[in-house]
Amino acid sequence: MVERGRYRPVVWVLFVVATLAAVVVCLSLGSVRVPLPDAAREVGRFLTGRPAFDKTVWSIVVTVRFPRVLVAGLMGASLSVSGCAMQGLLKNPLADGTTLGISSGAGLGAVIAIAFGIQIPALPFAGTTIMAAAFSFLSLLVILTLAYQIDRSLSSNTIILLGIIFSMFIASLSSIIITFAGEKAGTILFWTMGSLASTTFANAALLFFSLLVFGGILLSMRRELNAFAIGEENALHVGVDVKRTKLLVLISVSALTGICVSVGGTIGFVGLVTPHMVRYLVGPNHLRLMPAVLFGGAIFLMLSDLAARTLFSPRELPIGVVTSLIGAVIFVNIIVAAMRKVK
Amino acid sequence: MIRNNNKRAAALAVVLLLAMALLAGCGSGGISSGKAEGTTVVALTASSAEILYALGGGDMLVGRGEYCDWPPEIAEVPTVSSGDETNVEQIIALKPDLVLMATMAQSPEQAAQLEEAGIEVYTSDASTIEETYVTIEEIGALIGKEAEAADVIASMQETFETVAADKVDGGTIYFEVSPLEYGLWTVGEGTFMDEAAGLVGLTNIFADLEGYAEVSEEQVIERNPDYILTITMYYGEGAKPVDELLARSGWENVTAIQNGAILELPNNELSRPGPRLAEGVQALSDFVHGIENG
Amino acid sequence: MSGMLDISGVTVRYGDLVLVDDVRFSVEEGEWLMICGPNGAGKSTLVSAIAQSAPYTGEVLFEGEPLRQMRPRQIARRIGVLAQSNVALYAFTVGEVVRLGRYAHRAGFFGGRGGRRGDPEPGGPGYDDEAVVREAIERTGLVPCERQSILTLSGGELQRTFLAQVFAQDPRVLILDEPTNHLDLPHQKQTFELISEWLRQPGKAVVSVTHDLNLVKAYGSRVLLMNRAHIVAGGAPDEALSPENLQSVYGMDVHAWMQKLLSHWS
Repeated sequence: MVERGRYRPVVWVLFVVATLAAVVVCLSLGSVRVPLPDAAREVGRFLTGRPAFDKTVWSIVVTVRFPRVLVAGLMGASLSVSGCAMQGLLKNPLADGTTLGISSGAGLGAVIAIAFGIQIPALPFAGTTIMAAAFSFLSLLVILTLAYQIDRSLSSNTIILLGIIFSMFIASLSSIIITFAGEKAGTILFWTMGSLASTTFANAALLFFSLLVFGGILLSMRRELNAFAIGEENALHVGVDVKRTKLLVLISVSALTGICVSVGGTIGFVGLVTPHMVRYLVGPNHLRLMPAVLFGGAIFLMLSDLAARTLFSPRELPIGVVTSLIGAVIFVNIIVAAMRKVK
Repeated sequence: MIRNNNKRAAALAVVLLLAMALLAGCGSGGISSGKAEGTTVVALTASSAEILYALGGGDMLVGRGEYCDWPPEIAEVPTVSSGDETNVEQIIALKPDLVLMATMAQSPEQAAQLEEAGIEVYTSDASTIEETYVTIEEIGALIGKEAEAADVIASMQETFETVAADKVDGGTIYFEVSPLEYGLWTVGEGTFMDEAAGLVGLTNIFADLEGYAEVSEEQVIERNPDYILTITMYYGEGAKPVDELLARSGWENVTAIQNGAILELPNNELSRPGPRLAEGVQALSDFVHGIENG
Repeated sequence: MSGMLDISGVTVRYGDLVLVDDVRFSVEEGEWLMICGPNGAGKSTLVSAIAQSAPYTGEVLFEGEPLRQMRPRQIARRIGVLAQSNVALYAFTVGEVVRLGRYAHRAGFFGGRGGRRGDPEPGGPGYDDEAVVREAIERTGLVPCERQSILTLSGGELQRTFLAQVFAQDPRVLILDEPTNHLDLPHQKQTFELISEWLRQPGKAVVSVTHDLNLVKAYGSRVLLMNRAHIVAGGAPDEALSPENLQSVYGMDVHAWMQKLLSHWS
């Protein structure tokens, strides 16, 4: 059998077109109505290095909206590809930064960095970012160690229970720190909410490079993820270096989650929603699924952010509200499907 | 000025609480029992503590809610927990005759428990200047300082009248409650800041919203305010609120930013239903006239 | 000690418990070695150790080289394992699962198609991944459900899919741990026939844990009888499964029992 499908170019053209369309839609729609040609003109001038034609339109579309759309897209791709990798590795469609409590852990890392002023002098925001990444890795280690202790097959129930308990544990730790770091509580509360307001091109660049490196590692492990998704024991038998694969996936997922949290706070369930929806389109084979999830995740978070910006304009919804709303529905959907299968 | 860090610490939480309370619509407050010669008072709400001091009853205060931070000498009064964390026992132990609280921060159950302990409870819920007068009057009556209350009200009215008589000729203003990093929060109709804008002759750019609201950055840029008033707290790190506003990318073309027309009122002058509303309105008026006159 | 696979002094401990105690034997090319014994004898643990998926002391040598020192891919090209059962969760197709068997024959990190690295391919130059996958699917009769989701398969079909996978993996030694435990008779027969057909290729061997002594007798070329972490008897099926040996290991007259069962068929 030839592995067709995998290289079916039309699908990829569609994904690219859909992603670009989402970018265009998100740039032209927003809280403020800017006619498409005007928006296009300013973006065109920006991309070709020319000055603004209409300064207000430029400010809104190029300076405020553009970096935000980029950050939303890159963050959506990063969180989704991380979620997808975890779901393959653990053979559990409910595994995700939010359900496992990794995002909470990353948030705690950021909180500690802020509360105790952990900084790296040369890099202004690196302290928070590195602490967030380190804590997401620690969280993952703790959760998976516990999970393996309780139940080697990592059933959905174990994952859900541990995720809830771990998140509660992290929340209480955060509360303690907030109590003792009074004057920084405002800054700290940000990490628990998640917001894409005030994102910059620098944030987008950071996300881009982290996606390039860690997303690249994850994409290079698609075959290994396939093996894990069929079964960890089977993966071992067909010759997958199980330990190395786990370590690389966990490091990459932690780094991506930590960086996303340090840029936009905790935006829940993105890594759960996208792979679930994309699996319907391209199937569970990670060779296709992983790249498709990159596009799907970018589109999903860009559109979620668009909804957050425009639904109740001029009011703005926190983006986490939008993603969690959709995430909760899909979460229940997966559980119900899983329960039916058991019966 | 001495500022209480703890107060500022929970600014965001308070803002959210306020927003929720305002959105939900406030229930009616009022006097829950008859007049009495109050001698000892616990004030849970910052505005009621301020009123108490303005009426010359500062020495009656035996306990204050942790967020009561004005006037500065209040720092010497012992604090009690307030809001959701209110500890009724802690208040009873202070043996006050009267407890001042606000409907939006405290629950009716808390009031009932205090009343059962034989303590008089006064709850206020002023959200307009007129309602603030009523609150001042009623607190004055409760502590036997009716004349002082009348004076305070008269003085406030005088300030507002002077300001209103000297209205500027139009212009728009944007009120910033929380900085960009946490998502922009502003105020709309039905708030003191919105009322203050009207007295000074300005239009709140978000007058179409009600109460506290999170808005998009794009909207502020598009609505292009002539003035910006920020009541954002400064947490002691990063750029100060005004500098941070001036440095925001994309805001360069906003009139207020170009003219440097940014006023910072970090001490809750315009967010509490108390006598300092007059100071806040006066400050805004002075600031706007200062910019107008070059 | 010069078999294809030499097991020398293999011991597996779990805490204070000794599950396999200083076991040694060899596996020759072309033979189907059956490991039998009562429950808890240590059979599954022993084959896990041989497959390098359980920690052990002692050595397992493949053509004189210790497997322990090989990379997972190198091991997988020599040893293939068909597990007792597999649980499907995601809707992979039969073809995708079978193709995964070729994992160890693909190049390393970026997984280029058909590339090679490390020790030579079993099939030598010109070895074609797709042809091997094709053959495995045909051999196991899975052509009609090649594009079917594994979630829709019956237990027998799923087991056959994993059998096709291990055929595609093309190892030298195939390790089976009660591969037909959950299967009905036709599937049981089919699986054993497929494996014995596979064994006819040159340079192959099969090691399997099998409970059913009838199957052991029918297909095994040699038998190891295990009891309480030790090998208590070994040799040709008739010899190793002597009434005395069976009596001592199973604590019952197996021969009489089998006779009695068969008598109902006449």
